Parts: sequence; C-alpha cells; structure tokens
Amino acid sequence: MKERYFSTFQLILLALFAALIVVAKIALRLPLQLSGHSGVFWMAIVIVAAGVVPKVGAASLVGLTSGLIAAFLGLGDFGALNTFLSYTMVGVGTDLALLLLGRAPENLVVAALAATFGHFCKFLVKWGLGALTGAPVGFIALGLAKAIVGYLVFGALGGLLGALTLRALRRAGFFSYLAEKK
Amino acid sequence: MSQRTRILIAVGVLALLVAAVLVIEALRGSSVEPTLAPGAIPIYRDGKLEAGFVPDDLAALEEASFVDAEEGKTQQGWLLRDILLLYVRENKLKPDTRIVVTSSSRGKAAELTWAEVADPAHWVMFDLSGRGTLKLVSTLERLDVRDEWVQDVDKIEIDPKP
Repeated sequence: MKERYFSTFQLILLALFAALIVVAKIALRLPLQLSGHSGVFWMAIVIVAAGVVPKVGAASLVGLTSGLIAAFLGLGDFGALNTFLSYTMVGVGTDLALLLLGRAPENLVVAALAATFGHFCKFLVKWGLGALTGAPVGFIALGLAKAIVGYLVFGALGGLLGALTLRALRRAGFFSYLAEKK
Repeated sequence: MSQRTRILIAVGVLALLVAAVLVIEALRGSSVEPTLAPGAIPIYRDGKLEAGFVPDDLAALEEASFVDAEEGKTQQGWLLRDILLLYVRENKLKPDTRIVVTSSSRGKAAELTWAEVADPAHWVMFDLSGRGTLKLVSTLERLDVRDEWVQDVDKIEIDPKP
C-alpha cells in the first residue's frame, strides 16, 4: 500500500494548529491599531506548524484549513472569499519561502524571512482584492507604506517567536516524543 | 546553492513584491480621476478634474468679509485662494496662472490671475448666497459691482486650454 504523504497524526496536528490560528485571531486582541499586528501570533503558529510537521505543504495545509474555518465562522470584514484566500496564502507563501530557504524553521533568520514572506502574501491578497473590486481597505486609508511596513515587521516578529518556540520545544524533548508517535 | 544566496534571493523577491505594490498603487493613484459628489463644484487644472467641493466642505476654512462699495453690504465667505490651496499645491500656481470661475446658468465667467487671487487686498472670495450657491465677489475693479459678480458658480478652471 502506498504510504500517505501526511500521516493521520500529522494531519490532526496541522488541523489543531489551524484551529489555534482561528481561536487566536478571535481571542487575542492587541490594542495596537497597526496593520498586520495579528501576524505576531499568526506567523508564530504557522512556523511552529511547519517545524513540527517538517514536510512541504504543511504550512499550506494549515493556511487552507484555517481559511476554511475562518470563512465559515464569518471572520474578516471583506467577505468569505477574502478571508479564505488571505488565510490560505499565508500558509502557501510561508511554504514557498521555506522551500527556497531550505526548510529550516528553527533558524531565526529563515523563520523570520519565511514568516515575513507568508504574512506579506496575506497583504497582497487583501490589497489585490481591494484594487480589483474597489472595496475600501482599511490599510489604504491608514497609508499603504505604513501598512506594508506593519505587515513585514509583525510577520518577521511572528517568525522569530515561532523559531524560538520550536527551539524551546526541541529542548523540552517534544520532537523525540513526536518521533515515537509517528 | 548556499544558505546565504537563498536568503538574499528571498529578500530580493520580497523587495520586488513591495516595490511592485508601491509602483502599481502610485500608477493607480495618478490615473484615477476624483469623483464629484452631487452638486459639487469641480476644479479643473489643465483640463483635468483635480477635485470637487461643496460649500459645506469650506466650513473649516477661515471666513473673510468686506463691505462692497456699490451697495455697502457685507460680503462674507471664503477666499478663493484658500479654497484652491485646499486642493492644489501652491508650487503649481505661478503668478500668471489663469483662473477662470464660471457660472453656466448665468452665462458669466471671470478670468483672474493667481497673483490677483492670492493678494488678500483684492478680497477675491466666494459669498454664500441664500440659496446655498456660491457667488464670486471681489474689490478688483472688474469684479466690484453686482453685474460683474459671478453668481451660482459651478466650475473653476486653472489654466484652461484655449
């Protein structure tokens, strides 16, 4: 029998990370009033997911699943399609960047860069759909350059947080535990 | 490929994407004409719509007034200079820049230069009529009596094409 790309255990883990993103998005409210500030926890979770399940497509699957959950829960101000695409592209962008950077999400530079890339993909979706449909997009009103900087900085911070979490998990023996579970 | 090269490529791609967004947004911004609210008075510059305003938009401006020589009435409103500077950068306006204020319903128009408009001594200003329309008044010799005023102004042109 052909072995499946993701094991059931890995799929459950990735689904839990996806749910965690949505829960975090609902529950954590940082009073920063800056575009993209949710990227701090969002990208941290995506990077941790990509580290815990070290396979190409893991981050994309987390993005896709969280996008589906968020769209069905009615999150976001610009409709289900916008929400679904932006959540999904966070994962796809992170995966592409990790693919280029050699899949080493515990490396601080790699994690920060991959997370910045993934988070900027979310910005691209929001900006692109806003430009195509003419819908008012909050960050345009706040200033495009400021919004871009916000997305890049908070994405990078999230990536750093994710990499540090992965390092802490490794020190705690979590990856040895995971190896037994596969 | 070394890790350093991969990182440089990723940073380069990211920088390209950011630059593309900024360039596209700049192009979009320069190609999109402002839309006019119903009843707004358009300001054209070189034949292109620059902005539009309704008298309510002028509330934030400092009011000006003078007593006209013909009827001794107080003309109160907003200086045309202040209104234009709300929408057009001052460095785009030279002393000889022509400014034409038109009322199509009255078939009247006044042609002024920026030097005349910018000089506060000339009181080139809009008085708000009882009907809520704007009337161009001034102490300039060719605009200082009722027949010369431009009532119900509905267009302002800066350097209109002949």
